[in-house]
Amino acid sequence: MSRTLKIILAANLIVIAILAFVYPNLMVGPGKLIPGHKQLETDCFACHAPLLGAASDRCIFCHKPADIGRLTTTGRAIAKPLASTPFHQKLITKDCVACHSDHAGVKRFRQQGRFNHALLQKKELDQCQTCHKAPADSLHRQITGNCGQCHNQNKWTPATFDHGKYFELDRDHNASCITCHTGNNYSRYTCYGCHEHTPSSIRREHIEEGIRDYDNCVECHRGADEHDIRGGHGEGGGNREGRGGREEDDD
Amino acid sequence: MTTSLWRQHILPFTLLVGLLAAVTLAGDYLLHRMNLVWVGRYLGIPGTLLIIASLIYSLRKRKYIKAGNPKTLLTLHEFGTWIGASLVLIHAGIHFNAILPWLATAAMGVNAVSGMVGKLLLDRSRRHVQEQREHFQLRGLSRPDTEQAIFWDAVTIDAMTRWRKVHIPIFIVFAVLALGHIISIFLFWGWI
Repeated sequence: MSRTLKIILAANLIVIAILAFVYPNLMVGPGKLIPGHKQLETDCFACHAPLLGAASDRCIFCHKPADIGRLTTTGRAIAKPLASTPFHQKLITKDCVACHSDHAGVKRFRQQGRFNHALLQKKELDQCQTCHKAPADSLHRQITGNCGQCHNQNKWTPATFDHGKYFELDRDHNASCITCHTGNNYSRYTCYGCHEHTPSSIRREHIEEGIRDYDNCVECHRGADEHDIRGGHGEGGGNREGRGGREEDDD
Repeated sequence: MTTSLWRQHILPFTLLVGLLAAVTLAGDYLLHRMNLVWVGRYLGIPGTLLIIASLIYSLRKRKYIKAGNPKTLLTLHEFGTWIGASLVLIHAGIHFNAILPWLATAAMGVNAVSGMVGKLLLDRSRRHVQEQREHFQLRGLSRPDTEQAIFWDAVTIDAMTRWRKVHIPIFIVFAVLALGHIISIFLFWGWI
């Protein structure tokens, strides 16, 4: 390698090294910081401890846990808090980076909007409604609290609702929810609209058996087996007025 | 340039470089598709280790070490650096954040290409041009006519020779930039 080339290479590397110290945010920073931390962009060690990464105690230096969700870092009241109830005070540990990331490039590797509920104090774990808003569909509108009956704290879906208690979703009924529960209304269902389940054929078959009240299908039929008939008036024939569906909590 | 020089030498070289790009794009795509983007974050480590390990050939070539069959070590150098470079390229992904690691990636890319020039093109092309020269002379062409006939091939080889000279200096640039990137990661990232 010629002497001139060596000098050019060394000069370039020195310039790059200087740039790394003058503009660390551009040279080594993994993307922009969140807008609220813009003034810290060239001061890496405001958040990072050398060789240890971003340290929570440095976050807490500005963001006092008791004030999070209530007051800004300058002590002003927060007009529109992000969460309906301040919950940072109810965390069992002050591990800020477990949930928060600052650089745009790092956020890409983090699952956004995921919160490990194990970080909450035990008595707060079943108070879902203080942070979460219930879905607006008619099923959830009827329910208050006790979310853990169907949902777990890792994922909202799939819910662990035991559909088999009402109707078994076997291989003949391996359908999506909206096939039977139309209009985002899970408190009602319809069996009509699938293969032989037309109003006329269902009417004909039930009238032949002397059954007049056959609109609430799952009252007698809990699965695809048409001979496995349960319920109050399996053979004798019901005589209630039809409703074209049923409330699931009737069962 | 004769068709045969293109087909026998330039095309395989282009395919090898293209394969490196294709492997990088496919790896990046699969990681995104399988929701395993975080894995790419760590592929820089095995990639760098493979490149470092493949430097044994360079040490052997310059007689800093005496053990090892140079031919085997060269093969390991070629495979190690190619696989290492593809892992580092997947690690870099298509995300543009800090400038320093991207300079290191660019230097590595130039270095890999210059290495492949040496492997695939230079020696074989020299042989090819020499064969052409002998072939034309056997057919009774005068020396100036022979040189005229192989003019563009000779120009291509001259360009490739210059390109290969970049291999060592650009490796030094790559090594320094990569070291800067690694130091910055250790300095700012929480490993424990």
